[in-house]
Amino acid sequence: MDRVVITGLGLLTPIGSGKSQFWERLVAGTSGIEPVKAFDTSAFPVHLGAEVKEFVPDPHLRRPPEELGRASQFAVAAAHMAMADAGIELDRYDRSRVGVSMGTTSGEPLFVEQYNDIRKSDGLQSIPAQMLPKYPCNVIPSNVAIEFEMHGPCLMIPTACAAGNYAIGYGYDLIRTGRVDLMLAGGADAFSRITYMGFARLGAIAPDRCQPFDKNRKGMIPGEGTAMLVLEPLESARRRGAHVYAEVLGYGLSCDSHHMTAAHPEGDGAIRAMSMALRESGVGIGDVHYISAHGTGTPTNDRVESIAVRRLFGEAADRVPISSIKSMIGHTMGAASAIEAAACALALDTGVIPPTINYEERDPECDLDYVANEARTVHPRIVLNNAYAFGGNNASLCLARFEG
Amino acid sequence: MSKRILVTGTGVIASIGAGAEEFQNALYAGKCGIGPSTNIGSDDCSGPAAEVWNFAAEKWLGKGIRTLDRSARLLCVATQMALFDSGLDREPDGELGLVCGTMFGGLHSITSFDWSGVVDGPKYVNPMEFPNTVINSPAGQAAIRHKLRGVNSTISAGLASGLYAIHYAAEFLRLGRAEALLAGAVEELCQESFLGFHKLNLVSQNGSIKAFGEDRDGTIPGEGSAAWMIETEEHARGRKARCAVEICGFGEAHDAHSIRSYHLRGDGARSAIEQALRASGISAAQIGLIVASANGSRSGDEMEARALASVFGGRLGEIPICAPKAAFGEAMGASGMLLAVTAGMALLRGLAPPTPGAGSVVSGLRLAQEVQPIEGEYALVNCFGCDGNNAALVLKRMA
Repeated sequence: MDRVVITGLGLLTPIGSGKSQFWERLVAGTSGIEPVKAFDTSAFPVHLGAEVKEFVPDPHLRRPPEELGRASQFAVAAAHMAMADAGIELDRYDRSRVGVSMGTTSGEPLFVEQYNDIRKSDGLQSIPAQMLPKYPCNVIPSNVAIEFEMHGPCLMIPTACAAGNYAIGYGYDLIRTGRVDLMLAGGADAFSRITYMGFARLGAIAPDRCQPFDKNRKGMIPGEGTAMLVLEPLESARRRGAHVYAEVLGYGLSCDSHHMTAAHPEGDGAIRAMSMALRESGVGIGDVHYISAHGTGTPTNDRVESIAVRRLFGEAADRVPISSIKSMIGHTMGAASAIEAAACALALDTGVIPPTINYEERDPECDLDYVANEARTVHPRIVLNNAYAFGGNNASLCLARFEG
Repeated sequence: MSKRILVTGTGVIASIGAGAEEFQNALYAGKCGIGPSTNIGSDDCSGPAAEVWNFAAEKWLGKGIRTLDRSARLLCVATQMALFDSGLDREPDGELGLVCGTMFGGLHSITSFDWSGVVDGPKYVNPMEFPNTVINSPAGQAAIRHKLRGVNSTISAGLASGLYAIHYAAEFLRLGRAEALLAGAVEELCQESFLGFHKLNLVSQNGSIKAFGEDRDGTIPGEGSAAWMIETEEHARGRKARCAVEICGFGEAHDAHSIRSYHLRGDGARSAIEQALRASGISAAQIGLIVASANGSRSGDEMEARALASVFGGRLGEIPICAPKAAFGEAMGASGMLLAVTAGMALLRGLAPPTPGAGSVVSGLRLAQEVQPIEGEYALVNCFGCDGNNAALVLKRMA
């Protein structure tokens, strides 16, 4: 089967847009967390969020931006960046062999919010028809396909906060089995009051900052954003003379089958996903040089993830740095693991791993090396990107430095 | 990649019947599941629908379903039926997974949760209802219910979601990641989706679906869930499982044209069918049955008829076609799975089920109100959406 490589990155995140700005700020430990601007939070006990700042729809957009929801606008903008970054000339491709797979938690939830706002103010009959077709979550990848006239596979994998990894994994499958020659894979989510209300009501949102794995961590910070990755067969990247950020080695999926919102207390599902990813990648425990954590900053997630890594890696866990960029960009939901996969690709490409910021006090239940506060140059060869979601959906993606 | 993937268990619940037997009997009796809606729950919108009538999930699931919304209940029922039918529920050593196609997930749960925040304030939303607001909630709930610890994926590709889910699951097995999986799909009918059908003028004014009819004027929204247990041939044979049909080739093509209208030229639909045939290693001449995507839409049915004509040419008039959405409605993300289940049943019987309401059909199509015999062992299942997603799947009867 074909080897699969990442040759283009497009990002919109709470700390910046485009791979250069994103990476510069990420390794500098920049926080993108601020008071929420999308809606009034005065009725909430918490007020912080991680929004994409000053977003303007892509000037290259082929259709009027109002025809697309916010998550679609994100995805299309990031797709343009990724295609340009990879130097793809689409006219050279058979469009039926170019596809898009994406992940999301909420799709285009702003249309549900508008629906209810109009329903309250003017009644159901006043809801404008033209709003409705923009809502289904698969419209996001469809909008990307329309933008680039791509006629290949086009689907959304809405597996909540692990969705980005699922989508990249599926894109990897489509390439290595020879179904497509080029794949845009990633995730997108728009800041939503539905998500914010839910996490606030669960008491899961931190009041001040996001401190994954710290003893005094108080929760996660909801966010938004997107990352789109260009995936292609190694042979085609070679032929084009493209820059290769990283190689996709494999991935693993599992289900906790335990609870809709709480992770399995011993991390059983997380371990199965990581094990499957390593097995499929032909990688041993000792070969992993960095783990990009799901690391939301909630007391439970970070404890369980630490337990899972410790149980799987044993003593070797002491030698594997693990960090959570959610400390900086918040939890960007279905986009999170796609953005984290982009960060992993950049880590493999540059040799630097991003830090977990706001890390101050060691938690005895989280006994790993969390790359506290400062980025580190470790020249990783193989990294694991973890993502966990509501529904007990777990996904781990294994990437490697490209060495020819 | 040459592994054969077989269907070893079936579960289905739709307006025309619950359980493979009841569904099949209704299908072959030409029953139509459309009636005045009862579950929409609003004075502002009412009308004909193909609901799962008098749905009482506890009949199958017993207790502990209070927090499950309608979509999760429907999926739990269908997957349970498929699990029991396959016999794999009695072999708990394996790690079964679930791939679920859906267009909206629990749309009513999502909207209601937000609505309670709008009306009562964010502090008063019910935290127990929050988990139902993620689109993968039905699949997550079914996994908890049936102890499915393997892969758990939710697939959304609009009206074609069901076929995409079958393909995703089959590929998972072909790649050696698992030996058996549940492939399913679900869609609930709720106020929000119902209103969408009406606002967008998709609904038939005469209250029925005239698939491929000269006088068709729209569709009728439906709902339901279906699931298959699928296994690698080796695994199925190893446990002497009863094998019904084989999942052969799949084809998919996006029109990249619009998110709200069928592409009348039918390029994507034709391409999807051709890919499915090629991936199955068969020619169009070997197809003995076409299970159509047709839902009564003026443009959608025209697009499909055009795609079929261009693939099958003059032989099209010889192949029996059935359009079962005329019976169970346009069940959105669940449609593809319901169509595939229909095709599987038809192959086993060697008979194409009738299409209710088929009157004056556009020329060149062999669509009938009566049961028709099938020649050959292959069936083609089409599933096309107005958002550009086109999928086609070939199934083969097991000897």
